[in-house]
Amino acid sequence: MSEFFSIFEYAFFRNAIASALLTSVLAAMVGTYIVSRKIVFISGGITHASFGGIGMAYFLGLNPFLGAAIFAVFSATGIEWISKKGNVREDSAIAILWSLGMAVGIIFVFMTPGYTPDLMTFLFGNILSVTMAELILLAAFCLLTALFFWIFYRPLLHTAFDPEFSQIMGIPVAFFRYAMAVIIALSIVISIRAVGIILVLSLFTIPQITAMLFTRDFRKIIPLAAFWAALGSVMGIFLSYFLNIPAGATIICYLTLQFLLVKLFVISKDALKRQGPGKVHKG
Amino acid sequence: MNQPLVKIEHISSGYFSETVLKDASLNIYPNDFIGIIGPNGGGKTTLVKTILGIQPLFTGKITFPLGRPAMGYLPQISQIDKSFPITVRELVGSGLGAKRKWFPHLLKSQKTQVEKLLGEAGLLPLASRPIGELSGGQIQKAFLCRAIINNPSLLILDEPNTFVDKSFEKELYRWLEELNRKMAILLVSHDIGTISPMVKTIACVNVNLHYHPSNQITEDILKVYNCPVDLIAHGSVPHRVLKEHDHE
Repeated sequence: MSEFFSIFEYAFFRNAIASALLTSVLAAMVGTYIVSRKIVFISGGITHASFGGIGMAYFLGLNPFLGAAIFAVFSATGIEWISKKGNVREDSAIAILWSLGMAVGIIFVFMTPGYTPDLMTFLFGNILSVTMAELILLAAFCLLTALFFWIFYRPLLHTAFDPEFSQIMGIPVAFFRYAMAVIIALSIVISIRAVGIILVLSLFTIPQITAMLFTRDFRKIIPLAAFWAALGSVMGIFLSYFLNIPAGATIICYLTLQFLLVKLFVISKDALKRQGPGKVHKG
Repeated sequence: MNQPLVKIEHISSGYFSETVLKDASLNIYPNDFIGIIGPNGGGKTTLVKTILGIQPLFTGKITFPLGRPAMGYLPQISQIDKSFPITVRELVGSGLGAKRKWFPHLLKSQKTQVEKLLGEAGLLPLASRPIGELSGGQIQKAFLCRAIINNPSLLILDEPNTFVDKSFEKELYRWLEELNRKMAILLVSHDIGTISPMVKTIACVNVNLHYHPSNQITEDILKVYNCPVDLIAHGSVPHRVLKEHDHE
């Protein structure tokens, strides 16, 4: 037990836990929007396209996260623009963007002279090496997103649900759609730090679908998803620390296991409920 | 005095480069109840969406001699994602515009307005439920509430009688009759037999628009209008419209 508490003496561990909690809240808000609008695939495209920016930034000697953010924002707004025009097959466009981003990233990383030490961090994340500066940036972005969601809750929900009706109501639909595209892109890039490109999307979907086992009310899904995400990522960090396995992958495995267990619980509870009154009726 | 609410003159409209509706003209007066009928893909929905301003106008013009009216709209329910996590209360509230641009939450008075309408529609017990848990009739009712909560002077309904049972259909028609005293109604339907006793006039839309200033229509007239609608689609009462026509 003393070993359990002693790890909190390390700043890197406290940072990791703080980062996991903040990322969970951010992913809960943005992920609920993504899952509700059924744009998980689009978000996957954005995530992988951002790798192109990472590779290019490496090559030019810039901050890789800056490169990722620029690529992610451009691909997110680009997809929103394509889907609005509507005469291009959206899924094909996303698939192209998805693989093109990865391809560009690989080429630039290959051309970059010398060894690229952090490359694995971008692919698989490294939550145990989060710095204080990154933590502050994450907290600030999380706060801004929460404010945006709180203030513009109604137009966000309405433009996601029924953009045509929102347009009739005089809501600036394009503004909210593009604003959300940018927020999605930046949230994904910021969360890449914790779990990496390959795994990040699950943080934006698994806690949400776990929450949706209990409620189908957008307003209630967010805090519940934040809870499941926080529980999952903190548990993942502990497990990875004590079992000495990669944190990002452990978090995702734990989240999936958690979803399955909760689902099993809900199913059996429903089955019992159905069985209960039935028995009384027969008796 | 007898100014129309909406004046549609020789409009054409459609999707991207494809013209669905050609040279359509129609005047909508404040107490009109117009049934818009026609075959699928004939341009019924395009017509109403163009009036609502959510579909581009290729040629012609739409004017509002009495000023732009508040419009209520009930879209085709099949176009709606019913698994979206929105509650009935939020759905109905989305028909109210925000009073404060930079803090677009509903005012207390608006929230009361939502509760009152939910109560009148008998939806109060379902208000906190997500729309995915409602029956077809209840969903239509909730969407109708969203359409009318803003007290529009023009109510546009696109196929409101799909996915509903007969008892709800009756309730719907009673409701519309009452609403028609306060607002003009455009009712899109592929099912002319059901709507014809209720509407006052009929517009047949099949690429072109033919206005029929009565709610009685025969197969021959539909043929003249080049508007193939199945009049026999009503099981036990074939040619119901024809029969009613003969009575008068």
